[in-house]
Amino acid sequence: MSLTATAANSRWSLFRREALRGLAALIMALLVAFLVVLFTSKEPFEAMFQLLVAPLQKQRTIGLWIDDVAKLTVTGLAFSLVFQARQFSMGVQGQVYMGALAATYVAMSPLGTTWAAIPLCMVAATLAGAVYGFIPGYAKAKLGANEIVSSLMLNYIAIDIVNYLIRAQLSPPGKGLLMTDPFPKTAVFPALIANTRIDLGLIIAILCILGVWFALYRTSWGLKLRLVGHNPKFAEYSGIRSTFIMVSAMTVAGGLGGLLGSMFVNGQAFGKLTVLFEGGLAFEGILIAIVARSRPLAVPVVALFYGYLRQGAALMGIRTDVPAEVIGVVQAVIILLVASSFTLPGKKLIARLTRPAGEPPVAGKAQEAQP
Amino acid sequence: MTELLLTVFSATFFVTVIRTTTPLLFAALGGLISDLSGALNVALEGMMLVACLTAVVVSVYAPWYVAVLAALVAGGLLGAVMAFFHLKLRADIILVGFAINIFATGATVYALTLATGGDKGTSINLPSKAVPAVDLSFLSAIPGIGPTLTAFLSGHSILSWLVALTVFLIWFFLYRTPWGLWLRGVGEYPAAPEAAGIAVNKVRAWSLIVSGALAGLGGAQLAMFNYIGFTREMTAGRGFIALGAVLLGARHPVGAMWAALLFGVFEALSVVMPNLFNWIPAELIHMIPFVVTVLALIAFSYRIQRRLRMRGLA
Amino acid sequence: MAPLLEAIGIGKTYPGGTVANDGVNLTVNAGEVHAVVGENGAGKSTLMKILFGIERPDRGELRLEGKPVSFTNPREAIDAGIGMVFQHFSLVPSFSVYENVVLGSEPRAGVRFDRAKAIAEVRALSEKFRLSVDPLPPVGSLPVGQQQRVEILKALYRNARILILDEPTAVLAPQEVNELFVAIRSLVAQGRTVIFIAHKLPEVLEISDSITVMRAGKTVGQVKAKEVTEQSLATLMVGREVALKVDRADTDQSRRVCAVENVTILNERGTEVCSDLTLNVHAGEIVGLVGVEGNGQAELLEAVAGLRPVETGRIDLEGSDIAPLSVLERRGAGLASIPEDRIASGLATGASVAENLVSTRLGDRRYVRNGLLDLKAISANAKRLIERFSIRVSGPNAAVGTLSGGNMQKVVVARELSEQPKLLLVSQPTRGVDLGATQFIWRSITDARDGGAAVLLSSADLSELLALSDRLLVFYRGRIVAAFLNRGDLAPETLGTYMLGLSAQTPEEMQAGLK
Repeated sequence: MSLTATAANSRWSLFRREALRGLAALIMALLVAFLVVLFTSKEPFEAMFQLLVAPLQKQRTIGLWIDDVAKLTVTGLAFSLVFQARQFSMGVQGQVYMGALAATYVAMSPLGTTWAAIPLCMVAATLAGAVYGFIPGYAKAKLGANEIVSSLMLNYIAIDIVNYLIRAQLSPPGKGLLMTDPFPKTAVFPALIANTRIDLGLIIAILCILGVWFALYRTSWGLKLRLVGHNPKFAEYSGIRSTFIMVSAMTVAGGLGGLLGSMFVNGQAFGKLTVLFEGGLAFEGILIAIVARSRPLAVPVVALFYGYLRQGAALMGIRTDVPAEVIGVVQAVIILLVASSFTLPGKKLIARLTRPAGEPPVAGKAQEAQP
Repeated sequence: MTELLLTVFSATFFVTVIRTTTPLLFAALGGLISDLSGALNVALEGMMLVACLTAVVVSVYAPWYVAVLAALVAGGLLGAVMAFFHLKLRADIILVGFAINIFATGATVYALTLATGGDKGTSINLPSKAVPAVDLSFLSAIPGIGPTLTAFLSGHSILSWLVALTVFLIWFFLYRTPWGLWLRGVGEYPAAPEAAGIAVNKVRAWSLIVSGALAGLGGAQLAMFNYIGFTREMTAGRGFIALGAVLLGARHPVGAMWAALLFGVFEALSVVMPNLFNWIPAELIHMIPFVVTVLALIAFSYRIQRRLRMRGLA
Repeated sequence: MAPLLEAIGIGKTYPGGTVANDGVNLTVNAGEVHAVVGENGAGKSTLMKILFGIERPDRGELRLEGKPVSFTNPREAIDAGIGMVFQHFSLVPSFSVYENVVLGSEPRAGVRFDRAKAIAEVRALSEKFRLSVDPLPPVGSLPVGQQQRVEILKALYRNARILILDEPTAVLAPQEVNELFVAIRSLVAQGRTVIFIAHKLPEVLEISDSITVMRAGKTVGQVKAKEVTEQSLATLMVGREVALKVDRADTDQSRRVCAVENVTILNERGTEVCSDLTLNVHAGEIVGLVGVEGNGQAELLEAVAGLRPVETGRIDLEGSDIAPLSVLERRGAGLASIPEDRIASGLATGASVAENLVSTRLGDRRYVRNGLLDLKAISANAKRLIERFSIRVSGPNAAVGTLSGGNMQKVVVARELSEQPKLLLVSQPTRGVDLGATQFIWRSITDARDGGAAVLLSSADLSELLALSDRLLVFYRGRIVAAFLNRGDLAPETLGTYMLGLSAQTPEEMQAGLK
């Protein structure tokens, strides 16, 4: 067997193993949720039905699902980028808010009524997010300031700034509404499928997937980033400027976050800037990135599954006595299981739990590096 | 301006500061213990939140001290969960911590709906109790300074007195007992205590549990004195500010105390300032503690960086 | 008389499939100094870990004074009277000496840690066994020889009857080794037993009473020191005749490639680690930097590589100042560097072999054009180097972390020597590497030299330096205190005198060696 054939074979088996692992974690998390719901809800089976089946029932909910998938993909990609560089910047939420703010200013300016509104909004949002992602990166690189704490603080700061600006400047005076007027039609993404939320955002998400994949695996910047993630001292020794890579990774990820902000406010979902528009979605990118092992091509797949669950949880919350927040429990269990499965003791535990009878345990040899 | 100064140096402001500092300090001490053992606990936020809810719900059915104990236990249990996944299954501690936070946000709302019969926002319908304040008004009898003493020292929550004691206890534990030596050794160079036969993982597990328990006490204070009752996401980032206090305090209990006090001052200011300066928007005042944390983090890191500059770290 | 400690038929296989011990026997009598020798990978460390309770054997048994024992953790081994001093010290740098010694068995007054008692006990112990060290300063500030004494005190504090020393002389200069041997003899005179793992055969023959030789996880010989020679021991260890020298070609060494002029380097705390250094390296020669670790050799190499700033002075590469050049630019100018710790700074174990092999050439148009990677060229390069350097690996996309120590080092060497460098910096090239790979790496370095490279070699292994270098420069406290031409007549003891600062050559004496 030629070298490439064996490589391709083991790549496939690696992929299959990872997929099964993710799926196993998902199923176990759902079981946990089911148990919780069983003991606390008056209508547990109805709740689980809503969670697992309901989204497929109406075209409208399918549209919401796909729209969520697009957004989850972008935040998942943003986190994947920083995780691959082994930085734990949690600032996507703040970047989304700042990006949304920038897009709002463009949309509400005279430029908002021109044909260039949408591209300009996107560009402004991306730049704003990139700057906001640059800040914790620079602090980490120049001062060694812990990026977890600084990025989280910046999230809260961004939300406060945006809320203030909405209340004081951007919302139409006198009406007391905490949102801006709807953007002009030229500043709103066209719907791809009429009467649904599926809009230009989906295409943006697909382009982002391709862009991030290409950047990570086909450019020298991406290779440098991955090497820095593997071993920063080695990267330094090889002549790679680790600090530049770290900062640029967080900046580019910030750009993705900002772009996501534009997807929110320019998208069919909103078409305006309103308080708390983001609803915590940015943080769900962490789960997506972890389950996808920070690989750009796996992110949309995970986003697909998780986005579905998200819709199901929302429907469950509306139609039964189980609030949508139970999905937080599901998320946590998935993260814990997947994070444990990266390592040997965890792998053994999960393998034992999920191995179909008769199949021998997976050998640890023939480990492949990331494709 | 004078109005501001008068307010800041008043006894009522001092009392407010102690009130706001108490949960932060508990959480910071918890963060300190786990950080010194080599396990960074980013789940302080989630642990506090769960403890808040636990305290509120339990206090409906039991006396306040049982509720406080329940909050402590809840936090400790979450610490044990972290220890299990991080130490036994070797999951990355940052990921485990965030999982706990995500769990806490969702589970507390869920539990709240169950407890209140449908209210997802607050526990306002529940008759939850408060932690008693310690009344030292007898101090007024002292000639001269009596009334001032009373104004400054009376009326604090019993947990505030506890947290002051805890600072001393933790200092004593860390620097005067063998187990504190073990913990610091485990955090700085685990191979050494391991070679001496000390169970490194056990030490870290206990530190995570204690860290959770302390965060739990912080949650009890928050939901039973600072506010009476539970509101969704009521911790509002305090768990992360506590981490900032640990770093700012040079990873020493007394340093953490000063740092927590500083943040407490700013939180108290954000309560007081809207009345004084209503031309400053509420959101920007609310932002102050977070901005201060970032600035403090930067300043602190800059100091360390200057000392390490020869390394070419940057 | 029954032996004090026996290991019978010990077997241990690690989860990855490596068979570390395969039927190992060890017999140690009370009151003797017993050496366990074998090359890297022979299984010595695993055996010691089993003796100390860090690992448990899959088969076989241990007997202490004739009775079977088994240890599930180090605490049990310590309680049974076995103490171990590792090669990498287990000392908490910020803790004082006495805190490190009593850690885990602290004297107490109630719940309080009785510090006064601990200090007194440590002082008494250090006097009794002639291991003089001040109990108060933080261990991180002590020189390596003293740190080792702290480690030994740790074991003695817990009443170790049997002391296991893992390669104790690896970090010591010849005179410090003598002091250690004095301490060992004193321990034995007071009734203790010492087992030590070693590489350096002359020392083994000098200090031990009995020797157990291990090879490939088995015991291949148990002999008395009086009855063997160095050569016969080496043959037992390797199973074949060992060449202890490398042939060097005659080269033209007149062209100066690198000049270091009055260079002073500071460390993080602001102390001078290199003071006013001046040296030259010429094409076609290997200059060996001799010295106990921590005397400035590593810092000098880092400065030349561009990883550490120079406080004052000038470093030249082929006549031009390299100070403004970045690491990448220096590499582009023909600098190659094999780092001291391959896992910490020489490789990315999670990345593939191909990626590791190309990591220093990301500015090279053959592999990267306009920021885009040429994956075919990168893969072809990897295949070529794997073949040329006989790296045992399944393919260019295998993760480097799955390779053995020797093969990992070969990846580093392959990357650095894939093209003939002008200036080659080498640090501890064969640390933790088996003999076969060592020979190969020595050959590769010498080939680079023969091809015209100027080589700066820093190593803790005196025999390696003596085998490879054309000239030797001895470092002590950041200065060059001696310089020699290596004509094969240098005794390690002579070098040791300078390594420990016991004497220094005058500038005239150094002239020949400094060139």
